[in-house]
Amino acid sequence: MRALLVLTVFGGGLAQATLAPALRIADVAPDIPLIMVVLLALRRGPEFGCVAGFAAGLLQDVAAGGLIGVQALTKALVGFGIGAAGGRLRATQPLVQVPGLIILTIAEALVRFALLQLFRFPAPFGELMTYVVLPQALYNGFLGAALVFALAWSDALKERAS
Amino acid sequence: MKKRGVLVLGTVVAACLLLFTVQTRGHVTAAADALALVTTPIQSALARVNRAALTVWSTYQDWKDVRGANRRLRAENQQLRVESLQVSETSTENQRLRHLLALQERLPLATVSAEVIAREWGGWVRSLTVNRGRGDNVMRLTAVIAPAGLIGRVMEVRRGASIIQVLTDPASTVGAHVVRTRTAGIVEGEPRGTMRLKYMARGGGGIQVGDLIVTSGAGGMFPRGIPIGRVRAIDDRGSALFHYATLIPVVDFARVDEVLLLTGDTRRDIASAFPSDG
Repeated sequence: MRALLVLTVFGGGLAQATLAPALRIADVAPDIPLIMVVLLALRRGPEFGCVAGFAAGLLQDVAAGGLIGVQALTKALVGFGIGAAGGRLRATQPLVQVPGLIILTIAEALVRFALLQLFRFPAPFGELMTYVVLPQALYNGFLGAALVFALAWSDALKERAS
Repeated sequence: MKKRGVLVLGTVVAACLLLFTVQTRGHVTAAADALALVTTPIQSALARVNRAALTVWSTYQDWKDVRGANRRLRAENQQLRVESLQVSETSTENQRLRHLLALQERLPLATVSAEVIAREWGGWVRSLTVNRGRGDNVMRLTAVIAPAGLIGRVMEVRRGASIIQVLTDPASTVGAHVVRTRTAGIVEGEPRGTMRLKYMARGGGGIQVGDLIVTSGAGGMFPRGIPIGRVRAIDDRGSALFHYATLIPVVDFARVDEVLLLTGDTRRDIASAFPSDG
């Protein structure tokens, strides 16, 4: 449990700081910690999702140099929400994964934008949605689905070996 | 189980609210310092690993072209290419550092050189983290440049690291003017990762595509004359008060690896330290 939490936080957060710029497509980078939090919350439940989201978001806040706590709060809420709803979702279906991650990314962005508005974030909502949030949501959806597929494949290999 | 979940969520939300309160009351440095103690060394190490991984990837791309050759020759070829790439990488790095050193010597200002150890490129925030911080004479709002031109300003100074707000960050604004026409304006970052010049002039101010934009020196934060970008397109708004020009940055922010931080008196014109063609 602890090892998984550390892996989520440092693996996701630092992959975001170092790998995400290299994975850019047309200047759009994925939100790797968000994907990891969602995948682990689905497997481990709301408490783990909440704590992992908080820690991964906090690391992103510190690395990015913005207002500390914004992403920690939004990712904790996403982790808790998806962990709580996990049992009712058919998360192994690509038709659920891709739109699910797209919707989660947009929801996280809306909460984040609302929070940042309280601290006078200057970027216009329309441009932010068009050029940052929606392209990133699409990227997260497809990357997340690929990761779910890879995890399912790895689980199947393990089962076959045992 | 449910109660415990709500308790965890409540604790996390309370912790975030506490963080916001602490920061809005101006105690941001202590919290950021404590967290940076853990993150900065790991970021430095992973930045090196990341660069090494990218070198390996470009090597692989080259290898794909020679797949038709026989195994023995391909093995020899691979070996030679790896060695050649290592030499070429060293040579490119050497060249970059020479340019930076030459600029440092040309500048009539005190500077500190720094290496980029992390990049935040999400669109909400566009920043670079460099391996110089408190103790290296770096202060908040220090101007940051590369041999080609302006990169941005230091927004946070930590122990051993600083975070630079890049010109394309949506919250970035810099006083600037057009070299050819002396039309003054403000260069603003945009969420899509571009930047634009916002200026007030009757009849468009005579700005043309290709014009060089440099810092105006107004406000004293940035020295006058540092290249920012060239005009890519002009958004003529007729009789509107403000006109806009989309810019192409002179610095490729995504690829810059070494920078100079201007730590001395910045109230000088340093246009002569940069190439006249921008």
